[in-house]
Amino acid sequence: MQMVSGRTSKRGSMTTTQTDAADKAAELLSKIAENRSRAAFSELFRLFAPKLQSYATRQFGNEQTAMDLVQETMTNVWHKAHLFKPDRGSPSTWIFTIARNIRFDLLRKNKKRKDDISADELWPILSEQNDSLDDGYALDHDVLMQEISFYYAKLPDAQRVVIEKIYIEGKSQQEVSDALGVPLGTIKSRTRLALKKLKELIVDDD
Amino acid sequence: MMIKSHPGESLLYQYASGDLSAAMTLVVGTHVDMCKTCRQTVCEIEQKLCEENLDALVGVASTTMSKSQCDQMLEAIFASSACNKQAHQPNEILSLEGRRFTLPRTLAHNSHRIGEWSKLVGKLWRAPLTLDNGNQTNLIYMAPGAKVPEHTHKGQEATLVIDGVFNDEQSEYRDGDFILLDPSRTHTPETQDEDCLTLATLDAPLHFTSGISRLLNPFSQLFFR
Ligand SMILES: [Zn+2]
Repeated sequence: MQMVSGRTSKRGSMTTTQTDAADKAAELLSKIAENRSRAAFSELFRLFAPKLQSYATRQFGNEQTAMDLVQETMTNVWHKAHLFKPDRGSPSTWIFTIARNIRFDLLRKNKKRKDDISADELWPILSEQNDSLDDGYALDHDVLMQEISFYYAKLPDAQRVVIEKIYIEGKSQQEVSDALGVPLGTIKSRTRLALKKLKELIVDDD
Repeated sequence: MMIKSHPGESLLYQYASGDLSAAMTLVVGTHVDMCKTCRQTVCEIEQKLCEENLDALVGVASTTMSKSQCDQMLEAIFASSACNKQAHQPNEILSLEGRRFTLPRTLAHNSHRIGEWSKLVGKLWRAPLTLDNGNQTNLIYMAPGAKVPEHTHKGQEATLVIDGVFNDEQSEYRDGDFILLDPSRTHTPETQDEDCLTLATLDAPLHFTSGISRLLNPFSQLFFR
């Protein structure tokens, strides 16, 4: 249980070629999602299948299992392309996390019984439920919307403005930070404090 | 309120690579659901892993899968039906002892695995969460004023606070705090005025270390398994 130390973002170090490749893959994914385009999928397949195969061969040291991983991963990509969220990361990272999950299950396949937990349950990245993680545990979003107006008047101005922009105007914390000219860290802590305060107000009132 | 106790970076790395046990993956993953900092870190690690494992392999393209292998696989994929093995509906509300808890995402997705609650010593309740053959994690509920007798862990234990607060000799732990205990440390978790719901992995039964509670040792696997 160490404190998480500061680390540098990798995104800034992407080369132009990588960015182009990422844009290309994102475009193909959206064509697959929207039009079920077999041509787009075939192109994406040719980009990723060899890489996945090489990854899987190193992981399993077994040609057949490696091919299983490629096929299962790409089958998920074909059927779940609509679940790729460009704002959450690059296409290849998304495909990698699918492969990671398939690998987790393949490694347990021999011992696996019917009700055993699967990687999809541990990393629900392909869940159709679009559960938002943003205020996740802090407060239930619907409760927040319904009850907020009353309690909300009791928040300090600086926190109220932030909550208003995020929950009513639907802005991201980064956008609020830009709009107010206040550092992102401050916005995050104001959000957290405001949610905690609201939670206390609501609980006290029960 | 800031989460102050996080999984170490190597644990997050193993989590992102898929190299932890199912039990540890569930506990770390639930922390990640609750913790923006670690979520960001995991995103960065996944990106790094992807760069190392997939992106770096620009040259392999033509040397591996043959054209006919590719075509064959593509055909199989187009012929496949969307694998909608109907997943269990996530249930994020847990009711216990008149309390309602909101479960974080990963845990909510596994709510159907939560077994019967049973009352343990003192003011403690436990429900097993069955993962796979012989492996489980435990949800442990400590009512206000509960105390677990001093013990050590024979295996490595991870505990995550889902809701509430408890303390041991070292510190106080609140929503989202992740605590890794190793066999060298004895501790005596307790709650004060508030209750606490935690999720814990346990590789081996607890070993009670002090006074009369040593008498519990022969039965400890009945309490926490
Ligand atoms: Zn964390």
